[in-house]
Amino acid sequence: MRPFAAIAAFSGLFSSCLLVCAESTKDFTPPQAFKNVNLVRNTNLEKGYAREIINVVVENVDSEPRSSYYLAVPTELFDKVGGLEVRDKKAPEKDRFAVDSVLVESSSNSQYFVIDFPEPLAPKAQITLGISYYILNALSPRPATIEQSEKQFLSYSFSAYTPSAYPTVTQKTKLKLPSMNVPDYTVTSGLKSGEDPERLGTTYTYGPYDTSKVAPGTNYPVTVRYEFTKPVITASLLERDLEVSHWGGNLATEERYWLRNNGSALKNHFSRVEWTVSNYQQMPSVSIRELRVPLKPGAVDPYFIDDIGNVSTSRYRPGKLPARDASLELRPRYPVFGGWNYSFRIGWNDQLSSFLRKVSGGASDSYVLKVPFIEGPKVPEGIQYEHVVVRVILPEGARNVRYEVVDKATSNGLPNTDNIKASVTPHKTFMDTLGRTALTLTVENLSDEARDAQILVSYEYSLWDSMRKPVTITAGLLTVFVAAWAIGNVDVAIKKR
Amino acid sequence: MSLNEIWEATSASPYAPLISKDNQFFVGFSLLFSAFILTGLFGLNRSFLSIASFGVPASLAFGFGAVFMICAAGVYV
Repeated sequence: MRPFAAIAAFSGLFSSCLLVCAESTKDFTPPQAFKNVNLVRNTNLEKGYAREIINVVVENVDSEPRSSYYLAVPTELFDKVGGLEVRDKKAPEKDRFAVDSVLVESSSNSQYFVIDFPEPLAPKAQITLGISYYILNALSPRPATIEQSEKQFLSYSFSAYTPSAYPTVTQKTKLKLPSMNVPDYTVTSGLKSGEDPERLGTTYTYGPYDTSKVAPGTNYPVTVRYEFTKPVITASLLERDLEVSHWGGNLATEERYWLRNNGSALKNHFSRVEWTVSNYQQMPSVSIRELRVPLKPGAVDPYFIDDIGNVSTSRYRPGKLPARDASLELRPRYPVFGGWNYSFRIGWNDQLSSFLRKVSGGASDSYVLKVPFIEGPKVPEGIQYEHVVVRVILPEGARNVRYEVVDKATSNGLPNTDNIKASVTPHKTFMDTLGRTALTLTVENLSDEARDAQILVSYEYSLWDSMRKPVTITAGLLTVFVAAWAIGNVDVAIKKR
Repeated sequence: MSLNEIWEATSASPYAPLISKDNQFFVGFSLLFSAFILTGLFGLNRSFLSIASFGVPASLAFGFGAVFMICAAGVYV
């Protein structure tokens, strides 16, 4: 049997390789139909992830109208890009452009996203694109290990020439750093006359460069190392459940976090004494000391538990309807230093009336629900989420589920709708017969900027569907009564009939 | 019609549950208590007529009462 299994495995491997090879394109170069007339890249490093906004004036240099613009991203960063959003800078009120990724041979230096313009760009016509995205896990702590109360430094490497699939006439890069303490940064030579970079406060400007004669894809490595004495908070997984209860008039939210601090690790053992002293003096720390979670005004019954049980080091400040937000202040069981993990869950309840509306008209009872996409801690250093699973658990029997993620005119840190994977599955829990209808949305590479995004879910739910639970229990007890009567009528007396 | 437009159009009809959160315990307890009494009355005379007069109301009271009591206890079903 074994040789057959080996052959089958080998042929499976070979066929899957064929499949990948067929999809990928070897030595792919995008058609040279465009030219970047002017490109300005703004890189913001004030948070624990890199945020880039590229404003570029694109001109069609082809003889035919073109609608597909290729955005180059270095291969090593391709899987770390999240929340990619492209809009027409001159018409920001219009919808964002559709973006697809192209699979290129992994040995290639660049991977590409294809941006599809809604209308093809005529020859010699120009369009100004606003491209925004963030790069997760792009900042590395240097040095990698530090003393407990030492300052932390992060380094960020990029190319002075913005990666592009097309020739660029002029370009510059503006870096916004979180502090004035920048011990190392690359000073370029021969790229432009005068000082490069130009410094103004915490802003470092590389360029402007005249790059009309520089081939696209040319790399000029630049590294900056700056102080960041804050934790680099990364959630390797966030699971968020929103449970709708019509009987209870309640929206129950539970969030489960698997957090990690991506900052510098400790050089020596953790010192409790040093920690107590620095904590007492409220010194800035590289550890996750406290997380504040703003909640909606009517939120009640909060809880904060981890693998051990209830974590008592939390405080809840209730909000006030209609406008004052509640605040849940969490202190993890231990300070989370670089390389350490902490997983926990928090949850709370809300009045359903603020989130659910009944749609009048139509044959069946229809409802529409509007809830935040993610909530979670709001901290100045930001949080990067590698994998997010949002589950909206609707009542048992809910049908015709439709959903929509609300997009704003400005960037809200969410990826295109195509990159949000959705599925509707049954979910069985307390007192369910059929199982509740659960809408699961999965997103890779998200940041806390998506806090403002909302999900809208509509579903149909009739009166009979809502009666399923009480009727099941009623039928159960009635069966007991009928059984008691029937068994009571059985004559088991030992006598002559 | 996008869902956001539907949401905006239905601003006048927020969802209101049959029994508000504050009254769930009272309603649930009353129904369960009446179910208990009716079950006792059924137990005194287990006839077919008793099923109709005590058993059915007791079952209904227990069915709805249990749902409200579970909600009042914090498990929102």
